[in-house]
Amino acid sequence: MSHSKDFKPPKISKSKGTHHPINLMKNHLMEILVNLGFEIVSGPEIETEEFNFDMLNIKKSHPARQMHDTFYVNNKTNVLRTHTSPVQIRGMLEKKPPLAFISGGKVYRKDDDATHLPMFHQVEGIYVDENVSFSNLKDLIYKILHNLFGQEIEVRFRPSYFPFTEPSAEVDILSDDGKWLEILGCGIVNPIVLENCSIDSKKFSGFAFGLGIERIAMLKYKVTDIRDFYKSNLDFLSQFK
Amino acid sequence: MKIAYKHLIEKIETNPCIDEISNKFFQLGHEHEIENKIFDMELTPNRGDCLSLNGILRDLNLFYKTNISDEIYKHKIKPLKINFKNNVKNKCSKISFLKIEIDELPTKYDSTLEGYFEELNITKNNFFTDISNYISYETGQPTHCYDYTKLDNEMTLSLIDEDLNFQTLIDKTIRLSKGDMVFLSKDNKPINLAGIIGGKKTSCNKNTNTVLVECAYFDPEVIIGKATKYAINSDAAYKFERNTDANCHDYALRRFLKIVENNAKIKNVEIYSEDHLNVKERKIKIEVDNVNKVLGTKISKKEFDYLLERLGFNVESKFIQIPSYRNDVKTINDISEEIARAIGYNNIKPKSFNITLNNKIDKDSNETNIANYLIDNGFSEVINNPFVREQTSDSIKVDNPLDSNRKFLRTSLKESLINNLLYNERRQQESLKFFETADLYTTSHENNKRVLGIIASGRVDKNYVDFSKMIDEDYLISMLSKYIQSLNVTTIPRETVKSKSKNAIVYAEIELIEIKECDYISKSPKINIDEKFYSRISEFPSSSRDLSFSISDPKKLHILEDYILNLSHELLKEVYIFDYYNNTKTNVVKIGVRFIFQSKESTITDNEVNRIINNIIKNAISIDSVTIPGLA
Repeated sequence: MSHSKDFKPPKISKSKGTHHPINLMKNHLMEILVNLGFEIVSGPEIETEEFNFDMLNIKKSHPARQMHDTFYVNNKTNVLRTHTSPVQIRGMLEKKPPLAFISGGKVYRKDDDATHLPMFHQVEGIYVDENVSFSNLKDLIYKILHNLFGQEIEVRFRPSYFPFTEPSAEVDILSDDGKWLEILGCGIVNPIVLENCSIDSKKFSGFAFGLGIERIAMLKYKVTDIRDFYKSNLDFLSQFK
Repeated sequence: MKIAYKHLIEKIETNPCIDEISNKFFQLGHEHEIENKIFDMELTPNRGDCLSLNGILRDLNLFYKTNISDEIYKHKIKPLKINFKNNVKNKCSKISFLKIEIDELPTKYDSTLEGYFEELNITKNNFFTDISNYISYETGQPTHCYDYTKLDNEMTLSLIDEDLNFQTLIDKTIRLSKGDMVFLSKDNKPINLAGIIGGKKTSCNKNTNTVLVECAYFDPEVIIGKATKYAINSDAAYKFERNTDANCHDYALRRFLKIVENNAKIKNVEIYSEDHLNVKERKIKIEVDNVNKVLGTKISKKEFDYLLERLGFNVESKFIQIPSYRNDVKTINDISEEIARAIGYNNIKPKSFNITLNNKIDKDSNETNIANYLIDNGFSEVINNPFVREQTSDSIKVDNPLDSNRKFLRTSLKESLINNLLYNERRQQESLKFFETADLYTTSHENNKRVLGIIASGRVDKNYVDFSKMIDEDYLISMLSKYIQSLNVTTIPRETVKSKSKNAIVYAEIELIEIKECDYISKSPKINIDEKFYSRISEFPSSSRDLSFSISDPKKLHILEDYILNLSHELLKEVYIFDYYNNTKTNVVKIGVRFIFQSKESTITDNEVNRIINNIIKNAISIDSVTIPGLA
């Protein structure tokens, strides 16, 4: 005959929470880059126009500076940063080359639809040293994308335009359904930007790159609507435990 | 900008197929889509020179022999007497007016003009405007046509010094702002918003047979943003914003005349021109080694020269002469980009390198450790945008909010986290625990505050120890006391939030710098993001059933436990044991199990739930010594 002492109680299952999937992806990317030798730097989300635009060679007339693209605060004296690039400017003003920084965080643009949000996340990096070339940049981009999507992923570089890099490129990966998907922007740091940070562009060169975290997270997790990340639905979040 | 494949191959000797041209466009950096053999080009904003058929052909000349020297009007043109005053020579540094008088308007167009409208499926307007549109398509130079008979031979270009009403040629009236660059009539009335859109009063119509064609070079800075500001879709503004070729006016106007001549008999032509631009030849020193250094390539001088010449650059012995239409090329880095485009970005080989800097790695920060601790205690991280409705005494106001009802930056995470909690409460979640870490900005602090916000409500957890315990202030304080001693936990009054539930909502917010060193190391395995795939969540309500099982054989308890906790069904969302009771008198244990059902396709029915539950009951009671009290 059994005795009550013979019963071993059922396991006490403790619910675990979860990191936000965007932060999971951001941290994953930052870890890849830290392991490649980059240092993490951070900066404010409210920026001056000088750091957000001028120092990055984005002219006063550039469409991105218009009220319909950028959020202005404090009676138009400051902006909500439109990219994490100003953090790199602050880093370059603080340290002398050789330097290798990454910064990740929230950025803001005046968009709101199924593929764009007024707030999203970026990870950007910069490397400045003597003799840094576009072929070095390609090597790094391959390392990042192979790490994210596997060694077999097909990658394509296309010429593009960013005021702070020259030459500039956009990088696509080939999706399972045979379509090329834009994944990141990059390029050789425009010598004007180096000079703006008092770095001798005759001696030093550098590359910079930037990735949209939501875009990569959507591809990796197969999320089709960017807005799902920010509904805070527990059923959605708990899938990333 | 749309370009017809047919128009391209008419000017390319080798007749390449559309896919081949598409691939060449990608190599050149010209994104596009193709529909019905029309390329819809999305050019980067620095390539204003490519906003035309000829511009695109100039780039394609890298790969093919192209022919862009079309016939032009070669006769001498008499001077035009016009009373024009240019008050903004620094913003409009070059301008011409061409007066054309024709005998009779054509009843049908020649193949060039007709082909433009047919291929691109564009609606015709009137003879001169149609030619103006075609010239813009072919050469990239916008022109504006005034009906000459509606002008009074006196015109001024100025920045207006007061707001003025202006009726555009598309019948839309706009309120021009002080400082806008406008062509004014003799009586100081606006007749053309320079570089953007002409006016109704002087516009051409189907009967116009004497036209004044304006061809100008405008500083892009003065055009940018105006079309958007006045919600006008303007091809001219799009081109002027991206910069045009100041040296093409003579060619563009003579080409305009040639198209007129091909379709009608010209009675008279006169021209007025002024040039304050003084265009100098732009040259860059040849530095092949520097280009190779930028790209990491080994391009020979011979190949360098060849590629640049194919792209229209004139390579001299020591300098590269930049064509006037390439406003974007100024430095050796720009030349490097040209070479990279020409050889193909994908043909530049990656070159490995190592960053050997002694960069510090801060993997286990306080913020990371406290987040891991919260996650291991069932809290889920959320991210909210900072725009809120409520203003506090130190709120920062957004000057141009996306939503005028949310024009302040939050000064606390509380409102966002309450919304997150209520959203999930409405979705029948029983245990709600969230946290957010974010920077807050206020007028009272020069720098940001990095803040942790924590909110919780409902059951402490979904297991038989914690199910009956409800979250309250003591729970949060005791859970966090190990790492945060001075936590100010408050209960949010239910009457202040729109909610039917009576469960306490507890909230705490603390600046991260106030948290003493958190040394918590999570024992949970690291998340492998390669294994995380989103599965569509249900938007339909869930339904729950509770069952109580009696077990008299200790060995069978865990067989039942394994069976229940490993159940899998597409409609079964969650299962957990919420009660355990060991009756020492009867030597029988009872476990209470909650089953939660939900469909992704529709509201789940009782019949669907019953079918699954009955099957579970049947399998459970087939285990020896397992019964369900009260089951008939």
